[in-house]
Amino acid sequence: MLRIICLAIISLLLTFFENSVAQEYFLYVAAESEDQVHLVHFNAETEKAEIAKTIDVGRYPTEIDGPHGVSVSPDGEYWFVSIAHGNPYGWLAKYKTGTDELVGTTELGMFPATMEISQATGLLYVVNFNLHGEMVPSTVSVVDPESMFRLTDIDTGIMPHGSRVSSNGKHMYHVSMMTDELIEVNTASMEVSRKLKLSESGGMDHSSMDHSGMNHGNMKHSPKEKPTWADPHPTKPFVYVAGNGSNELLEINTDNWEITRRFTTGKAPYNLEVSPNGKLVVVSYKGEGSTGIWDIETGKELAKVANTRRVSHGVTISPDSKYAFISVEGIGGEPGSVDVINLETNTLVDYVETGKQAGGIYFWKQVN
Amino acid sequence: MTMNTLKKLGFQILLLMLLSFSTLATAQEKSIVFEMEEMTLKIDEETKITAKVLDADGNILPDTVIFFSGNRRSLIVNQLGDVKAVKPGSFSIIAITLGQNRIRKDLPVTVEFPPVTSIEFVEKPENVYSGTSFPLTFVVKDASGAIRDNVDVMITSDKEDVVSINSFNDLKALKKGNSTVSASAEGITAEWKIRVSDNPTRSISLTHDYEHKSVRTGDVIHFEATALDNRNREVSDAPINYTFIASPDDNLGQGASAQIEQDGRFVANHPGKYTVMARSGNNIAETSFRVEIRNVQRPIEVVGKGIVPDVKTSDLWVWEGVDGRDYAVTGTWGARGEAFFWDVTDPTNIHTIDTVQVDARTVNDVKVSEDGTIAVITREGASNRRNGIIILDVTDPSNVEILSEYTEDLTGGVHNVFIYEDHVYAVNNGRKYDIINIEDPRNPRTVSQFELDTPGHAIHDVWIEDGIAYSSNWGDGIIAVDIGSNTSADMPGAGGSPENPVKLGSYTYPSGWNHAAFPFKSKSTGSFYVAAGDEAFPYGLDTQGPNRAAGWIHFVKFDGWDNPEEVARYQVPEAGSHNYWIEDDIMYAAFYNGGLRVVDISGELMGDLYQQGREIGLFLPRDKNAAIPNAPFTWGPMPYKGLIFLSDWNSGLWAVRVGEDPTAGTN
Repeated sequence: MLRIICLAIISLLLTFFENSVAQEYFLYVAAESEDQVHLVHFNAETEKAEIAKTIDVGRYPTEIDGPHGVSVSPDGEYWFVSIAHGNPYGWLAKYKTGTDELVGTTELGMFPATMEISQATGLLYVVNFNLHGEMVPSTVSVVDPESMFRLTDIDTGIMPHGSRVSSNGKHMYHVSMMTDELIEVNTASMEVSRKLKLSESGGMDHSSMDHSGMNHGNMKHSPKEKPTWADPHPTKPFVYVAGNGSNELLEINTDNWEITRRFTTGKAPYNLEVSPNGKLVVVSYKGEGSTGIWDIETGKELAKVANTRRVSHGVTISPDSKYAFISVEGIGGEPGSVDVINLETNTLVDYVETGKQAGGIYFWKQVN
Repeated sequence: MTMNTLKKLGFQILLLMLLSFSTLATAQEKSIVFEMEEMTLKIDEETKITAKVLDADGNILPDTVIFFSGNRRSLIVNQLGDVKAVKPGSFSIIAITLGQNRIRKDLPVTVEFPPVTSIEFVEKPENVYSGTSFPLTFVVKDASGAIRDNVDVMITSDKEDVVSINSFNDLKALKKGNSTVSASAEGITAEWKIRVSDNPTRSISLTHDYEHKSVRTGDVIHFEATALDNRNREVSDAPINYTFIASPDDNLGQGASAQIEQDGRFVANHPGKYTVMARSGNNIAETSFRVEIRNVQRPIEVVGKGIVPDVKTSDLWVWEGVDGRDYAVTGTWGARGEAFFWDVTDPTNIHTIDTVQVDARTVNDVKVSEDGTIAVITREGASNRRNGIIILDVTDPSNVEILSEYTEDLTGGVHNVFIYEDHVYAVNNGRKYDIINIEDPRNPRTVSQFELDTPGHAIHDVWIEDGIAYSSNWGDGIIAVDIGSNTSADMPGAGGSPENPVKLGSYTYPSGWNHAAFPFKSKSTGSFYVAAGDEAFPYGLDTQGPNRAAGWIHFVKFDGWDNPEEVARYQVPEAGSHNYWIEDDIMYAAFYNGGLRVVDISGELMGDLYQQGREIGLFLPRDKNAAIPNAPFTWGPMPYKGLIFLSDWNSGLWAVRVGEDPTAGTN
């Protein structure tokens, strides 16, 4: 009880002080084809961004190891990056924020990608995307982020991606790209609790199929939605999904577990994030190099902001819901970027160039 | 001090106080308590464990505890604490609470090995002669039928004045008589009744194959000792041991000078006088001889270079064009997706003549067909993540034309390729190679794939010789596959074809670093080897300075696909191997920061080739205008028309020549 009271006081103080004086924002972004993670600093007063620090990651200096997903522990003490490529499995690396010192690693599955830590269990849930492997069901790895011990793997759909945890920490949501499904994981029992088909006929449900003797290389999967991301609303019973194949933003009611709204978006929506105040959904349109800002209540796209280069990727939003930070991959030798969008004016206010193929992006802290 | 600063200061002090207080009041005081301190199970035994969370006063708290196995393949544990033992050994069960102030406790679990059921002496000589010794060998099996090498076996002799056993389980027959040697473990005993007879050996004949030859460091000498009785008849079953005495020329702290195998093969690393001895009982024969320095060192001269100043260079290929001129192509790494085409006809004037740019960040590998008309370059880091290969018409290397882009099943990125008889062998996704028919290079089509089925298998490269594909597979080592073996092949095929690749043989070594494979038939001995190269960065990623590679080249001799033997290595201290080429008993090897090494691999190979002074030359490519100035990081070599072309990651393309040195010469 005492602890709850203390935490409540701290929370109130944080809200008060941050709203009144906070001006500095820090976030991490991975450059997948550079084997680097950048710490990006944004000054809200000047609305200028900069690379505060660049951290080399990976194991092989002569191979691209491919840092893909980034996350930060709820207490802000550590950041995590999933490394897509290994021999053959990818892995998870843990770094201390501030010093950016490598603390530990653990092996994961094929092409581990997006991840987040549950406030309820304290455990990290990372999808093994298996982007280039056979079209077979993959897993969500559960890792104790303290010891970096991989506790278990949860069977899930084909090419799972977009792992985000509800604000109460009880459920982790991700999508199965090649079966057109939204999948809910009970973070405590570490089991898939629900699946929702996002299209009428697309994709294949492999969960009950015998795969022995099947030549998946010659099989044709025809997902319609090709969902690539899921993010739960911070306070309401909704999850928002990017329909990368159908150019849609989907709203799913988690109470009755059904699609409540579909919105037509720009080309190939890829990642998205609901703003912490619950009013906006910011969606990266990978296929057209722009970012859509949606008003959740009205279901209208408030603005479409052109990104500074092609292949828009990830989204993270500051805790005060004032700024969205968009990672943009670029093509070939072109640097990637983090574009900063003011969510009050819906305009691009600055960008900073990163290593090649900026991808995973995650907010760290907002300070004075 | 501004108002903002005051606010910040006050907030931070208050925050620190509250955090300290709340933390002290909670997490440190809880603990997980298992119902037991440790657990012992038998294989296949199932049980259930429980644990409680207690506060400092021993009161049970309502925290949820979940359980995991620390060794999932050996000990199955579900979250509720149901446990099943699968394999023997020492493991742990992990219990954690959920939430932000998680606590953890590990429970040690021992899964007992099945009991030993049999011990059997093997390789028992029929006759044991007094004065001789030999190592005892035995096989221990347990109730599961598994052969066990972790059992403490007690070996004893009932008459130690007849037969003695030392702590290394070597048996020494001391005098004529009978003795029973026993091997015991876990209540199981095997006995061997030994009758020691007088040693009929009266002398030993020691012959060798260096007569009238100058022995050099690295030369393998074959000794053959024969035990003879008093009528000079061979005692064929008398055990014979070989050993030697070394008197190296350099005795100022000189390291190991030579090695000898118990089949009589000897090789010296350093020059000096050596005495080889063969012993059977009290009979000894010896011979002394001198080993000279190999003296193969020659200078390596730079002929020309094509410096790549702004991006890192990957692989290379050099070929004679259809117009009779000489060309090279190099890839680029972590850059703009370019392949550079060079005119190297005049190697003193290497210059680019065309550039092909594709949607990629890395063009890791480049290969050109034997007729010099088709090139294939690989893609990694394509913006649409489809990667694959690009097939080029290089009939006119000054105007290279893209014929096709092929990504079918190759989206995971193609790292290496090989072109052989109108097919491309494309190593992709780190897991397999696809075999692609390019008879119509504008319309390539996949005809088959080769992929291992071992757990966690991975692959890095493939090389083809006489219709046999040799792939390098990290932990699975080198794999030989018949993809259409021909009569020139040094080893038998199995009727494979591009459409039907058939595995022939393999060789695995413990490090799991196998990165390249190069088959060759020794010109001087006719023996068939596969040189298996490592790539390793065991020191981790150095974010503050140059990276250091490790690993070496393993020489694996094949006497039949089922009989590989790793016989020699070439290892450069403080550097690690990458790509290499072998031609006419000379190896050209890239060793990253160790540059290019040219190595004499003539004759039989045995032991540490570096120590034997077989290195002909060393070249460190340095250039102040390089992408990373004056920092050799050599990627790969290719001998061509009397020169050695090499690509260097940091500097580009080089042409060098092994020169003459009037002061040197092969002894």
